[in-house]
Amino acid sequence: MDLTFTESERAFREELAAWLAANPPGPEPVGQEEAHFGWRREWQRRLYEGGWAAVHWPAQYGGRGASVVESAIFFEELGRAGAPLPANVLGLLLAGPTIMLWGSEEQKERYLAPILSGQEIWCQGFSEPDAGSDLAAVKTRAVAEADGWRISGQKVWTSIAQHAKWCMLLARTDAQAAKHRGLTYFLLDMEQEGVTVRPLRQITGESEFNELFLDGAFVASENVLGGEGNGWKVALTTLMNERAGLAFFLQVRMRQLLEALIEQARRRERLDDPLLVDRLVGLHMRCEALRLTAYRGLTAIEKYGQPGPEGSLTKWMWSQTNQELCQLAVEVLGAQALREGAPWAYELLRSRGNTIEGGTTEILKNIVAERVLGLPKAR
Amino acid sequence: MDFDLSPEQREIQATARDLLAARSGPAVVREAAQSRREDAALWKEISELGWPGIAIAERHGGQGLGLVELCVLLEQAGAALAPVPLLPNAGAALAIAHGGTPRQQERWLPALAAGSASGAVGAAGRDGCLLAAAAEADVLVVLDDRHGARLIERSQAQVTPLPSIDPLRTYVEVEGEGEPLGGDLAAARDTVAVAVAAESVGVAARALEMTLAYVKERRQFDVPVGSFQAVSHRCAEMLLHTEQARSVLYHAAWASDAEPARLPQAASLAKALAAEAVVSVTASAIQAHGGIGFTWEADVHWLYKRAQMNAVLMGGAGEHRRRLAALLAIAPAG
Ligand SMILES: Cc1cc2nc3c(=O)[nH]c(=O)nc-3n(C[C@H](O)[C@H](O)[C@H](O)COP(=O)(O)OP(=O)(O)OC[C@H]3O[C@@H](n4cnc5c(N)ncnc54)[C@H](O)[C@@H]3O)c2cc1C
Repeated sequence: MDLTFTESERAFREELAAWLAANPPGPEPVGQEEAHFGWRREWQRRLYEGGWAAVHWPAQYGGRGASVVESAIFFEELGRAGAPLPANVLGLLLAGPTIMLWGSEEQKERYLAPILSGQEIWCQGFSEPDAGSDLAAVKTRAVAEADGWRISGQKVWTSIAQHAKWCMLLARTDAQAAKHRGLTYFLLDMEQEGVTVRPLRQITGESEFNELFLDGAFVASENVLGGEGNGWKVALTTLMNERAGLAFFLQVRMRQLLEALIEQARRRERLDDPLLVDRLVGLHMRCEALRLTAYRGLTAIEKYGQPGPEGSLTKWMWSQTNQELCQLAVEVLGAQALREGAPWAYELLRSRGNTIEGGTTEILKNIVAERVLGLPKAR
Repeated sequence: MDFDLSPEQREIQATARDLLAARSGPAVVREAAQSRREDAALWKEISELGWPGIAIAERHGGQGLGLVELCVLLEQAGAALAPVPLLPNAGAALAIAHGGTPRQQERWLPALAAGSASGAVGAAGRDGCLLAAAAEADVLVVLDDRHGARLIERSQAQVTPLPSIDPLRTYVEVEGEGEPLGGDLAAARDTVAVAVAAESVGVAARALEMTLAYVKERRQFDVPVGSFQAVSHRCAEMLLHTEQARSVLYHAAWASDAEPARLPQAASLAKALAAEAVVSVTASAIQAHGGIGFTWEADVHWLYKRAQMNAVLMGGAGEHRRRLAALLAIAPAG
């Protein structure tokens, strides 16, 4: 057991921190979605030029071949520097690794480089109106043609589809097969007739996510990923990656929010209230427990190739703690913090999505119960 | 960054688990609880293996390993509810090792490490005095926030037994001048608090294990009760609380061995989270067992009772949260 960073991990952090200090992301455009996404695109371009776009990718694909610990350090430092996630975060964290594992040489050749540079933005077309937690229930149909597939159906909650060139699309190719077997994973070109993106307004007022209508959209045969009928397995690769690297970025962001809240409470001379102090200490404890549990998970991945029981707990811990933190902030800071457009108001509203996106807390508990604790399938 | 036990530490863990599974099974624990007696033969064996002195320097007759290794053992002892005074002995030794004068260390550490002298350790504060003790403790260490720390030999001590709900350990209050400890009292308090947290994590882990076994077997409405989400999600929460407490526990133990500057915060975090976790996890265990869980016959209540005592021993969650607030400068100190 050694909870210090190795020489090379420290060197990695220092090099990165120096680069971030020399290349600040510039002021965040507030309240303008288009400009905000443009800001993240520009940020990815700079990361890419500096060689920092995907540290966890193998060097042969343009990454740094960073260890899982270095990758965690990368996201911690990004968070600490107040930098945004790069625009193509879904490509970098989900599509890229999924293509590396399942893709043909031609597919890797074609898709990985533009993901890295941010030239081609990716979105994730998994959820549907009738297939959310029960993802394997997707109904979007793919019908075989001579040299490809015709796709019809509807996706929903598709984040950044409005900016995306490509979509990781899960669709049903065999209606007769068992639920999990009849699925295929497609790489869908979003720039074609038959693909319609309609923004959905979120409780924050913004439109990060969309409805995605597919009406005879075409996917060429070479854009099937992992083989016909293997969609469920390929999708699981994507889902596993969804919760990995981000944890450290989110954890650092939450710590920053907590410090900001403590500072604001101090300035308002509220720290003489023992009830408030105790709740702040409780949040501190949970942030620390999350950070340390996430580190344990990293060691487990490094040593055993997969996270231990603690690996399935971090997203659950983070989402609940973040919600409670935002709730406390608006309680302490009162109506001012609840003004439309106020930063805390945004954080509060956005935090409600945390326990839904990337698998609801209830689904995470099911996963822990069944796969970690070996309990019988839930009813 | 390597946040895992080393192969040697895993071996210590496996040895302890196997020995205690064989020697401190449910029947032994039950018998010890009914008679309120320690298992002298087991204690002798454990002492010969060097457990009480595992974290004591070799020059004082110990094994010269660290708090991490001791925590590994205490976790197993807690899980087995072994009727031996490992925590009181090892805890008293930790306190003297960090807080004692050289003379006190020479006088007591070799004997405590060998198990030939028996110890008691605990804190006195505004909530009174509570020590976890070997049945006939030769030396009692009181870590008192306001009046510093004292070491009292049995002949000089007025020891009042505190017949608690936990029949598997002796708890006492003590009065008497004794001799002051003069070393690093904060480290003495912190390491003992971490030791209590370690035993508590073991208790929580065992409560979860027993609960899982039960809810997989017990059927109602023609299915195992563990297939009801109200039950399975409760189990998932038990795991969450146990693993969080374990993460911060080993961080604190490691800090004590390798980066003492981190210890004060780490120890209070570990003790507070362990106290909260072990209380909630053992309570959940009773609930998930249904009526059986409320009987004297089922073994979960021993865990619940130890959980309650450990939660207050060396300061409750509230006290450690207050200390954290001061250390983090969220609140003015004092
Ligand atoms: C901000 C945000 C961004 C998103 N981005 C994307 C994206 O880019 N791409 C994408 O494909 N999807 C995306 N999603 C969709 C997300 O993955 C789904 O919303 C989520 O999986 C839940 O599905 P659902 O909305 O259909 O809810 P439902 O599955 O209908 O769930 C409703 C309620 O029932 C509970 N429930 C359902 N099943 C069970 C069960 N078996 N046991 C216990 N409780 C259960 C749920 O926990 C929830 O509380 C996004 C969601 C959000 C909020």
